[in-house]
Amino acid sequence: MATDSPGSVRKVVVLLRATGDAPILKQAKFKIAGTDKFAKVIDFLRRQLHRDTLFVYVNSAFSPNPDESVIDLYKNFGIDGKLVVNYACSMAWG
Amino acid sequence: MDIKQDAGNVFPWDGTLTSSDFFRAAHMFSDKWRRFNTSVPPWLWVPCLKRRLASSHEVEGYLSLEKTSLFKSSEEKQDAGSLILKEESNMLENEEPFDCATLGPESDYHEINHYDFHVVYSASYKVPVLYFRAYHSDGQPLLFSEIEKGLPGLSVKFLSESKWTFITQEEHPYLNRPWYKLHPCGTSEWMKLLFSTHKSLTTNGSTIEHYLISWFSVVGQVLGLKIPLEMLNCS
Repeated sequence: MATDSPGSVRKVVVLLRATGDAPILKQAKFKIAGTDKFAKVIDFLRRQLHRDTLFVYVNSAFSPNPDESVIDLYKNFGIDGKLVVNYACSMAWG
Repeated sequence: MDIKQDAGNVFPWDGTLTSSDFFRAAHMFSDKWRRFNTSVPPWLWVPCLKRRLASSHEVEGYLSLEKTSLFKSSEEKQDAGSLILKEESNMLENEEPFDCATLGPESDYHEINHYDFHVVYSASYKVPVLYFRAYHSDGQPLLFSEIEKGLPGLSVKFLSESKWTFITQEEHPYLNRPWYKLHPCGTSEWMKLLFSTHKSLTTNGSTIEHYLISWFSVVGQVLGLKIPLEMLNCS
Protein backbone atom coordinates (compact mmCIF):
# COMPACT_ATOMS: atom_id res chain seq x y z
CA MET A 1 0.00 0.00 0.00
CA ALA A 2 1.56 3.27 -1.04
CA THR A 3 1.55 5.58 1.91
CA ASP A 4 3.91 8.45 2.48
CA SER A 5 6.61 7.73 4.98
CA PRO A 6 6.44 10.06 7.98
CA GLY A 7 9.27 12.12 6.59
CA SER A 8 7.40 12.93 3.42
CA VAL A 9 3.86 13.53 4.70
CA ARG A 10 2.61 16.69 3.17
CA LYS A 11 1.76 19.39 5.67
CA VAL A 12 -1.02 21.89 5.23
CA VAL A 13 -0.92 25.43 6.54
CA VAL A 14 -4.13 26.26 8.38
CA LEU A 15 -5.15 29.82 9.22
CA LEU A 16 -7.81 30.15 11.91
CA ARG A 17 -10.03 33.16 11.50
CA ALA A 18 -12.35 34.48 14.18
CA THR A 19 -15.73 35.69 12.98
CA GLY A 20 -18.51 37.46 14.84
CA ASP A 21 -17.45 38.05 18.40
CA ALA A 22 -15.35 34.92 18.68
CA PRO A 23 -12.02 35.45 20.45
CA ILE A 24 -8.99 35.89 18.25
CA LEU A 25 -6.22 33.39 18.85
CA LYS A 26 -2.72 34.57 19.61
CA GLN A 27 -1.39 31.91 17.38
CA ALA A 28 -3.75 31.56 14.48
CA LYS A 29 -1.54 29.90 11.92
CA PHE A 30 -0.09 26.43 12.12
CA LYS A 31 0.88 23.40 10.10
CA ILE A 32 -0.84 20.08 10.27
CA ALA A 33 -0.24 16.80 8.47
CA GLY A 34 -2.43 16.51 5.39
CA THR A 35 -3.47 13.05 6.40
CA ASP A 36 -4.93 14.28 9.68
CA LYS A 37 -8.69 14.64 9.91
CA PHE A 38 -10.43 17.97 10.20
CA ALA A 39 -11.56 16.79 13.64
CA LYS A 40 -8.06 17.58 14.82
CA VAL A 41 -8.43 21.24 13.82
CA ILE A 42 -11.80 21.42 15.57
CA ASP A 43 -10.42 19.85 18.73
CA PHE A 44 -7.49 22.24 18.68
CA LEU A 45 -9.86 25.18 18.45
CA ARG A 46 -12.01 23.85 21.25
CA ARG A 47 -9.02 23.50 23.56
CA GLN A 48 -7.60 26.89 22.68
CA LEU A 49 -10.88 28.66 23.18
CA HIS A 50 -12.03 26.53 26.10
CA ARG A 51 -15.33 26.00 24.43
CA ASP A 52 -16.94 22.75 23.45
CA THR A 53 -19.19 24.13 20.83
CA LEU A 54 -18.03 26.12 17.88
CA PHE A 55 -19.35 26.76 14.45
CA VAL A 56 -16.51 26.01 12.05
CA TYR A 57 -16.59 26.62 8.31
CA VAL A 58 -14.45 27.33 5.28
CA ASN A 59 -14.68 30.07 2.69
CA SER A 60 -17.03 28.36 0.30
CA ALA A 61 -20.08 28.49 2.54
CA PHE A 62 -19.37 25.01 3.76
CA SER A 63 -18.90 23.39 7.14
CA PRO A 64 -16.55 20.44 6.69
CA ASN A 65 -17.32 17.09 8.21
CA PRO A 66 -14.79 16.30 10.98
CA ASP A 67 -14.00 13.11 9.13
CA GLU A 68 -12.60 14.85 6.05
CA SER A 69 -8.85 14.76 5.68
CA VAL A 70 -7.13 18.11 5.82
CA ILE A 71 -5.36 17.55 2.52
CA ASP A 72 -8.67 17.00 0.71
CA LEU A 73 -10.04 20.19 2.21
CA TYR A 74 -6.93 22.06 1.21
CA LYS A 75 -7.20 20.78 -2.35
CA ASN A 76 -10.79 21.95 -2.60
CA PHE A 77 -10.74 25.15 -0.55
CA GLY A 78 -7.13 26.17 -0.12
CA ILE A 79 -6.11 29.64 -1.26
CA ASP A 80 -2.59 31.10 -1.46
CA GLY A 81 -1.04 28.03 0.05
CA LYS A 82 -3.28 27.82 3.08
CA LEU A 83 -6.60 26.56 4.30
CA VAL A 84 -8.59 29.30 5.99
CA VAL A 85 -10.85 27.96 8.72
CA ASN A 86 -13.41 30.38 10.10
CA TYR A 87 -14.95 29.91 13.52
CA ALA A 88 -17.78 31.46 15.45
CA CYS A 89 -18.91 30.80 18.95
CA SER A 90 -22.31 29.55 19.95
CA MET A 91 -24.91 32.20 19.81
CA ALA A 92 -27.48 32.58 22.49
CA TRP A 93 -31.08 31.89 21.75
CA GLY A 94 -33.22 35.01 21.69
CA MET B 1 -48.51 36.69 -9.49
CA ASP B 2 -45.85 38.57 -7.58
CA ILE B 3 -42.36 38.51 -8.87
CA LYS B 4 -40.54 36.97 -5.98
CA GLN B 5 -37.15 38.35 -5.17
CA ASP B 6 -34.26 36.03 -5.67
CA ALA B 7 -32.70 35.48 -2.27
CA GLY B 8 -29.44 36.83 -3.64
CA ASN B 9 -30.98 40.22 -4.28
CA VAL B 10 -31.83 40.84 -0.67
CA PHE B 11 -28.87 42.70 0.71
CA PRO B 12 -27.58 42.34 3.34
CA TRP B 13 -28.87 38.83 3.11
CA ASP B 14 -30.70 37.51 6.14
CA GLY B 15 -30.04 33.83 5.65
CA THR B 16 -33.57 32.97 4.56
CA LEU B 17 -35.34 31.73 1.44
CA THR B 18 -38.77 32.32 -0.02
CA SER B 19 -40.78 29.21 -0.64
CA SER B 20 -40.26 29.44 -4.38
CA ASP B 21 -36.51 29.82 -3.73
CA PHE B 22 -36.77 26.64 -1.71
CA PHE B 23 -38.51 24.86 -4.56
CA ARG B 24 -35.69 25.77 -6.92
CA ALA B 25 -32.95 25.11 -4.37
CA ALA B 26 -34.39 21.70 -3.60
CA HIS B 27 -34.40 20.64 -7.23
CA MET B 28 -30.86 21.91 -7.76
CA PHE B 29 -29.71 20.10 -4.65
CA SER B 30 -31.30 16.81 -5.55
CA ASP B 31 -29.88 17.00 -9.10
CA LYS B 32 -26.37 17.60 -7.82
CA TRP B 33 -26.73 14.95 -5.15
CA ARG B 34 -27.74 12.44 -7.75
CA ARG B 35 -24.80 13.35 -9.96
CA PHE B 36 -22.16 13.10 -7.26
CA ASN B 37 -23.56 10.39 -5.06
CA THR B 38 -24.21 7.58 -7.47
CA SER B 39 -23.87 4.85 -4.88
CA VAL B 40 -26.34 6.42 -2.54
CA PRO B 41 -30.13 6.87 -2.75
CA PRO B 42 -31.33 10.11 -4.36
CA TRP B 43 -33.39 12.80 -2.68
CA LEU B 44 -36.85 12.84 -4.22
CA TRP B 45 -39.16 15.81 -4.43
CA VAL B 46 -42.61 15.01 -3.09
CA PRO B 47 -45.15 17.60 -4.22
CA CYS B 48 -48.01 18.43 -1.92
CA LEU B 49 -51.14 20.46 -2.14
CA LYS B 50 -51.96 22.27 1.00
CA ARG B 51 -54.80 24.63 1.54
CA ARG B 52 -53.64 27.99 2.69
CA LEU B 53 -55.56 31.04 3.81
CA ALA B 54 -54.25 33.07 0.94
CA SER B 55 -54.59 30.96 -2.13
CA SER B 56 -51.26 30.04 -3.50
CA HIS B 57 -50.55 28.74 -6.94
CA GLU B 58 -47.14 27.53 -5.98
CA VAL B 59 -46.32 23.89 -5.78
CA GLU B 60 -45.39 23.02 -2.27
CA GLY B 61 -43.54 19.94 -1.28
CA TYR B 62 -40.50 18.55 0.41
CA LEU B 63 -37.36 16.55 -0.29
CA SER B 64 -37.42 12.97 0.84
CA LEU B 65 -34.70 10.42 1.48
CA GLU B 66 -36.33 7.34 2.83
CA LYS B 67 -35.61 3.86 3.97
CA THR B 68 -31.93 4.38 4.53
CA SER B 69 -30.24 1.99 6.89
CA LEU B 70 -27.76 2.43 9.62
CA PHE B 71 -25.10 -0.23 9.69
CA LYS B 72 -22.87 -0.59 12.66
CA SER B 73 -20.21 -3.16 13.24
CA SER B 74 -17.59 -3.41 15.92
CA GLU B 75 -15.02 -2.24 13.37
CA GLU B 76 -16.79 1.05 13.09
CA LYS B 77 -16.75 2.01 16.71
CA GLN B 78 -14.57 4.95 15.79
CA ASP B 79 -17.12 6.25 13.35
CA ALA B 80 -20.11 5.11 15.30
CA GLY B 81 -21.94 8.23 14.27
CA SER B 82 -21.79 7.66 10.54
CA LEU B 83 -24.90 6.80 8.67
CA ILE B 84 -24.22 4.61 5.69
CA LEU B 85 -26.85 5.22 3.11
CA LYS B 86 -27.84 2.09 1.31
CA GLU B 87 -31.14 1.68 -0.36
CA GLU B 88 -32.95 -1.25 1.13
CA SER B 89 -33.58 -2.80 -2.26
CA ASN B 90 -29.85 -3.30 -2.65
CA MET B 91 -29.80 -5.53 0.34
CA LEU B 92 -31.72 -8.20 -1.47
CA GLU B 93 -29.32 -8.49 -4.37
CA ASN B 94 -26.80 -11.19 -3.85
CA GLU B 95 -23.87 -9.97 -5.87
CA GLU B 96 -21.66 -8.37 -3.28
CA PRO B 97 -24.09 -5.77 -1.93
CA PHE B 98 -21.60 -4.80 0.76
CA ASP B 99 -17.92 -4.33 0.82
CA CYS B 100 -15.77 -5.86 3.52
CA ALA B 101 -15.62 -2.72 5.57
CA THR B 102 -19.28 -2.80 6.36
CA LEU B 103 -19.87 -6.51 6.76
CA GLY B 104 -18.59 -8.58 9.55
CA PRO B 105 -19.54 -11.75 11.33
CA GLU B 106 -23.15 -11.62 12.34
CA SER B 107 -22.30 -11.52 15.98
CA ASP B 108 -20.68 -8.14 15.39
CA TYR B 109 -23.82 -6.63 14.13
CA HIS B 110 -26.26 -4.53 15.96
CA GLU B 111 -29.71 -4.56 14.61
CA ILE B 112 -30.24 -2.64 11.42
CA ASN B 113 -32.39 0.40 11.92
CA HIS B 114 -34.08 2.44 9.22
CA TYR B 115 -34.28 6.17 8.80
CA ASP B 116 -36.44 8.50 6.77
CA PHE B 117 -35.35 12.11 6.21
CA HIS B 118 -37.43 14.96 4.87
CA VAL B 119 -36.35 18.51 4.10
CA VAL B 120 -39.41 20.69 4.57
CA TYR B 121 -39.73 24.44 4.14
CA SER B 122 -40.78 26.41 7.20
CA ALA B 123 -42.91 29.38 6.20
CA SER B 124 -42.51 30.96 9.61
CA TYR B 125 -38.72 30.79 9.77
CA LYS B 126 -38.28 30.90 5.97
CA VAL B 127 -35.62 28.22 6.02
CA PRO B 128 -35.49 24.48 5.35
CA VAL B 129 -36.04 22.15 8.27
CA LEU B 130 -34.87 18.57 8.61
CA TYR B 131 -37.47 16.11 9.77
CA PHE B 132 -36.60 12.52 10.48
CA ARG B 133 -37.90 9.33 11.96
CA ALA B 134 -36.34 5.99 12.71
CA TYR B 135 -37.79 2.53 13.04
CA HIS B 136 -36.82 -1.10 13.46
CA SER B 137 -37.10 -3.59 10.62
CA ASP B 138 -40.52 -4.58 11.91
CA GLY B 139 -41.74 -1.00 11.64
CA GLN B 140 -41.65 -0.25 15.35
CA PRO B 141 -40.45 3.29 15.96
CA LEU B 142 -37.12 3.65 17.69
CA LEU B 143 -37.02 5.21 21.10
CA PHE B 144 -35.17 8.48 21.07
CA SER B 145 -32.47 6.99 23.28
CA GLU B 146 -31.91 4.34 20.62
CA ILE B 147 -31.65 7.01 17.93
CA GLU B 148 -29.13 8.89 20.03
CA LYS B 149 -27.02 5.79 20.35
CA GLY B 150 -27.07 5.21 16.62
CA LEU B 151 -26.30 8.82 15.72
CA PRO B 152 -24.16 10.37 18.44
CA GLY B 153 -24.29 13.74 16.69
CA LEU B 154 -27.94 13.83 17.67
CA SER B 155 -27.33 13.53 21.36
CA VAL B 156 -29.48 15.96 23.24
CA LYS B 157 -26.54 16.96 25.37
CA PHE B 158 -24.37 17.76 22.37
CA LEU B 159 -27.08 19.74 20.65
CA SER B 160 -28.12 21.67 23.73
CA GLU B 161 -24.51 22.68 24.23
CA SER B 162 -24.13 23.65 20.63
CA LYS B 163 -27.01 26.10 20.71
CA TRP B 164 -27.29 25.99 16.95
CA THR B 165 -30.25 23.71 16.97
CA PHE B 166 -32.15 21.23 19.11
CA ILE B 167 -34.52 18.39 18.51
CA THR B 168 -38.23 18.53 18.98
CA GLN B 169 -40.92 16.07 18.15
CA GLU B 170 -43.98 17.35 16.44
CA GLU B 171 -46.47 16.63 13.74
CA HIS B 172 -45.02 16.52 10.26
CA PRO B 173 -46.44 19.52 8.34
CA TYR B 174 -47.84 17.32 5.57
CA LEU B 175 -48.09 13.81 6.96
CA ASN B 176 -50.02 14.24 10.20
CA ARG B 177 -47.74 11.94 12.14
CA PRO B 178 -45.15 12.72 14.77
CA TRP B 179 -41.66 13.15 13.42
CA TYR B 180 -38.50 14.47 14.99
CA LYS B 181 -37.07 17.68 13.68
CA LEU B 182 -33.99 19.82 14.04
CA HIS B 183 -35.42 23.12 15.16
CA PRO B 184 -34.93 25.90 12.62
CA CYS B 185 -34.58 28.87 14.96
CA GLY B 186 -30.81 29.18 14.52
CA THR B 187 -30.70 28.31 10.84
CA SER B 188 -30.82 31.77 9.27
CA GLU B 189 -28.05 32.90 11.61
CA TRP B 190 -25.64 30.17 10.73
CA MET B 191 -26.56 30.31 7.05
CA LYS B 192 -25.66 33.99 7.15
CA LEU B 193 -22.33 33.10 8.77
CA LEU B 194 -21.61 30.43 6.21
CA PHE B 195 -22.16 32.79 3.30
CA SER B 196 -20.49 35.77 4.97
CA THR B 197 -17.02 34.86 3.82
CA HIS B 198 -18.05 34.31 0.25
CA LYS B 199 -19.68 37.58 -0.73
CA SER B 200 -19.83 36.70 -4.40
CA LEU B 201 -22.25 33.92 -3.61
CA THR B 202 -24.87 36.29 -2.34
CA THR B 203 -24.38 39.08 -4.85
CA ASN B 204 -24.28 36.81 -7.87
CA GLY B 205 -27.64 35.41 -7.00
CA SER B 206 -26.19 31.92 -6.79
CA THR B 207 -27.38 31.70 -3.22
CA ILE B 208 -30.20 29.44 -4.26
CA GLU B 209 -27.89 27.06 -6.06
CA HIS B 210 -25.62 26.67 -3.05
CA TYR B 211 -28.08 27.09 -0.23
CA LEU B 212 -29.05 23.51 0.45
CA ILE B 213 -25.53 22.20 -0.02
CA SER B 214 -24.27 24.63 2.59
CA TRP B 215 -27.24 23.91 4.81
CA PHE B 216 -26.74 20.21 4.50
CA SER B 217 -23.03 20.43 5.32
CA VAL B 218 -24.09 21.52 8.80
CA VAL B 219 -27.22 19.49 9.29
CA GLY B 220 -25.64 16.38 7.80
CA GLN B 221 -22.96 16.42 10.48
CA VAL B 222 -25.58 16.01 13.13
CA LEU B 223 -26.65 12.85 11.32
CA GLY B 224 -23.14 11.73 10.44
CA LEU B 225 -23.80 12.26 6.72
CA LYS B 226 -21.13 13.66 4.44
CA ILE B 227 -21.41 15.72 1.32
CA PRO B 228 -18.82 14.76 -1.30
CA LEU B 229 -16.52 17.72 -1.72
CA GLU B 230 -16.90 17.55 -5.50
CA MET B 231 -20.49 18.72 -5.14
CA LEU B 232 -19.23 22.12 -4.12
CA ASN B 233 -16.98 22.76 -7.00
CA CYS B 234 -19.38 22.93 -9.88
CA SER B 235 -20.54 26.48 -10.40
